[in-house]
Amino acid sequence: MPTPTRTLLAEASRRPTVAYCHDGAAMRDQPSLIEAHIPGLRRFACALLRGDRQGADDLVQDCLERAVSRWHLRRVEGDVRGWLYTILYNRFLSDKHRQRRRGVHDALLEVAEAELPGVDRGQDWALEHRDLLRAFAALTEEQRSVLLLIGVEDLSYQEAARVLGVPIGTVMSRLTRGRERLRHYMNSGVDGRNAGLRRVK
Amino acid sequence: MTPRGRPVGEDDLHAHIDGQLPHDRAEDVNAYLAAHPEERERFSQYAAQRQALRAALAAQADEPIPARLRVATLLAEQRRRRSRWLIEIAAAVCLIVLGGISGWVARDLTSPRGSLPLGAVARMITADAIAAHRTFSVEVRHPVEVDAAQEAHLVQWLSKRLGRQLTVPDLAAADFRLMGGRLLPAEDGPAAQFMYENGNAERLTLYLRAGIDGETAFRYHEEGGIGAFYWSDQGFGYAIAAKADRDLLLRISEIVYQQTPPDGVKAKIPSAPGKAS
Repeated sequence: MPTPTRTLLAEASRRPTVAYCHDGAAMRDQPSLIEAHIPGLRRFACALLRGDRQGADDLVQDCLERAVSRWHLRRVEGDVRGWLYTILYNRFLSDKHRQRRRGVHDALLEVAEAELPGVDRGQDWALEHRDLLRAFAALTEEQRSVLLLIGVEDLSYQEAARVLGVPIGTVMSRLTRGRERLRHYMNSGVDGRNAGLRRVK
Repeated sequence: MTPRGRPVGEDDLHAHIDGQLPHDRAEDVNAYLAAHPEERERFSQYAAQRQALRAALAAQADEPIPARLRVATLLAEQRRRRSRWLIEIAAAVCLIVLGGISGWVARDLTSPRGSLPLGAVARMITADAIAAHRTFSVEVRHPVEVDAAQEAHLVQWLSKRLGRQLTVPDLAAADFRLMGGRLLPAEDGPAAQFMYENGNAERLTLYLRAGIDGETAFRYHEEGGIGAFYWSDQGFGYAIAAKADRDLLLRISEIVYQQTPPDGVKAKIPSAPGKAS
């Protein structure tokens, strides 16, 4: 059958030359499929690392390098977003003990000061957000990751459970406890509480 | 009071503010909230926090993506690494095959170092440098053979043994002072080791081999907590080793690179260091 063969060849020659091309169509879309999630990944990483932006971008780069080199290993039917967040979170966990040794980053507050100018949005707005971020930084890592994935990154409960590698019931209880603790902080004067917490470390 | 259907749970209420509530539950949840003002208040606070957190973190996501996170950059880097790796593997395989055929005869005819790929030489010297650092940096009584007080003698002696004029880099800019140096046996000739120390008694060594062909960029390698940058330049192979972080080692490597060899000031650094290879 000459015609289909020729079409196939023409198609193949038009394909951009990407080495280690396992699934042609998906490979071609790889940059755009991945890059669409980079802003979210950076936001997630930065909040996980409590505002350490340099560390966050290192983590994202690490995640992307893995994603690029393991592109052919991802579940074809699975969505790219959940897969990327899973890689990022796993890298975060494996780096965690190293970060702990380097000392706890408490930069979220500085981010809050730098990123929330009081000028155009109003001073109250900035202060309130700074308090919120400070309270947020005081949550456990498990609560923070759940609140971020669901409340900020808009993952479904099911997706969040997959990213974190825990049952959905655990996600729900972390969500409940995290939100309640945050509300408690916000309603009972963050400053005193949080300063105490930070001193204890 | 729950008018109908399954009783409303905490999970339904969270799903409600997260926009994940199945349509058929919406009516039950709304009725429940209408009947329970304190729960309504609690969840409206959760919803407000959720919204505020999004707003507070929005700035990070709005920033332009830095070049190093571009997928195209990562792909190019990966291809480069893969091809270099393949070339080195291929070269290693060729060498093993050639070595098997030619055996000892070839040893006298060609310099084995000349036929090794640059990467293999780099790895070999880096490993030697790290081993030498490990051995002598912990020495309390005899860390060096000739100490810095006799620097002129040290330089003259090591230059003579390596067959090339050496310079001892001055690392005062990085707060390291010269302790002295020693001569070490290496694969096929002598190597020199200069040892430096800073105010915190942290030691750093510069390992030097002469007769190295080619010019390579800085390469980083780490083994058992000791990091090392290697490069080759104008006939010398250099390795800076210390129990220090990569940035400090790189800074010191750049200082050494600028100061060696003595003839002429250099304008540029070989290239930005790649990831560990």
